[in-house]
Amino acid sequence: MGVDRKAEDERLTAFMIGYQKGNMDDFEGLYAALKQPLLRYLWTFVRNATVAEDLLQETFLQIHRARQTYTPPRPVRPWIYAITRHVALMHLRSGRRRKEVLANDQLPEVPVPPEMEKLADHATLHKMLSELPRPAQEVLMLHHLLGMSFLEVGQILGIAAGTAKVRAHRALKVVRIRLEEQGGVA
Amino acid sequence: MSTDLLLEALRRSISDDLVPVRPLPPAWIRTLQAAAVAAIGLALVVFVFKLSPRPDMEQLPMWLSWGCTALQLGIGVLLLGMALREAVPGQGVPIGTVALGVGTAVLIQILVGIATWMHSTGMPLEKGHGLSAGITCTTHDIAMALPALLVTVWLVFRALPLRPSIAGLLGGAGAAVTADAVTHILCPMSDLRHVLVWHTGALIGLMLVGWLAGKLWERNRFGQG
Repeated sequence: MGVDRKAEDERLTAFMIGYQKGNMDDFEGLYAALKQPLLRYLWTFVRNATVAEDLLQETFLQIHRARQTYTPPRPVRPWIYAITRHVALMHLRSGRRRKEVLANDQLPEVPVPPEMEKLADHATLHKMLSELPRPAQEVLMLHHLLGMSFLEVGQILGIAAGTAKVRAHRALKVVRIRLEEQGGVA
Repeated sequence: MSTDLLLEALRRSISDDLVPVRPLPPAWIRTLQAAAVAAIGLALVVFVFKLSPRPDMEQLPMWLSWGCTALQLGIGVLLLGMALREAVPGQGVPIGTVALGVGTAVLIQILVGIATWMHSTGMPLEKGHGLSAGITCTTHDIAMALPALLVTVWLVFRALPLRPSIAGLLGGAGAAVTADAVTHILCPMSDLRHVLVWHTGALIGLMLVGWLAGKLWERNRFGQG
């Protein structure tokens, strides 16, 4: 797992270096490698697949405009996720956000961290996670689902690694307590 | 790489503008660049305004005169470095560290002022001349801080600060502390009213200028702020 992650990071760094040199194939490689995880991350903010797709395009345009600010060989993911987060927050602040409310059966699923899968059934966990405040959901998404270290999570969110760890711990604790209250956990 | 993974409109936008770019130097190199400009700016202002060390310099212990100058210069350069680090996505400074840095800058300036006043009362603050003396000192403070502030803000905005007002605040604090590091051994007055109103005021004012520059840049770049 660790080796895979290291190899993946090196691959992203190689893509970024090639992209900075003006190689379109490297941009496409970067896009292909990061499209899905970035969509999942954007979904945390907007809860709408179409809007997330639009924001993904906007994110890659911002990445393109700022590509000289990436300094090799630093890790690529904190740089890209920080830009992605900023695009999402700008969208939320701009008021362009859709006001429509999706019916329950239309709500996309909130991904469940593997550590939590054993705690209750998926439907209950999805509901619990959806009810968490966004900062808590964000940390769980970045650490538990996208596999980032707390140091990387801190770099993306502009907080200390310890703060990210505490935030994730508290979020999981809240979910556990709520499950216990509902008799979901022994 | 199969192009069907990529939306065609995005692909076209990128390929139309895909020129090679040179990556930004690491934050420590940009900090050295800013520090060099700050040093030249400080020297120029001292030369142009023909400033000389305060007359009671020998009454001050070494740790308070040159020692505190070195300490403040160190803190100032550190703050400039934090501003330049904040300017790159994914390298944001934790908000607690920002508060600690800015708070330390203000606190050290006040403590140095109090310690100086306790060791030497310096030139008395003559009645009716407080305003002119204050304006003179504030002018020197701002003139000394300006080169460092301008180069830091320029380097910050050449990157992509995602919290530009925080980067600007740090840059303003760094520039102001480096300036105060020099003015505290030049200004002949120790009177705390003069120090707190005009020198601490200049420090806080420069921080606000940096913060405001960040807000304006944010509004211009992202349409918000």
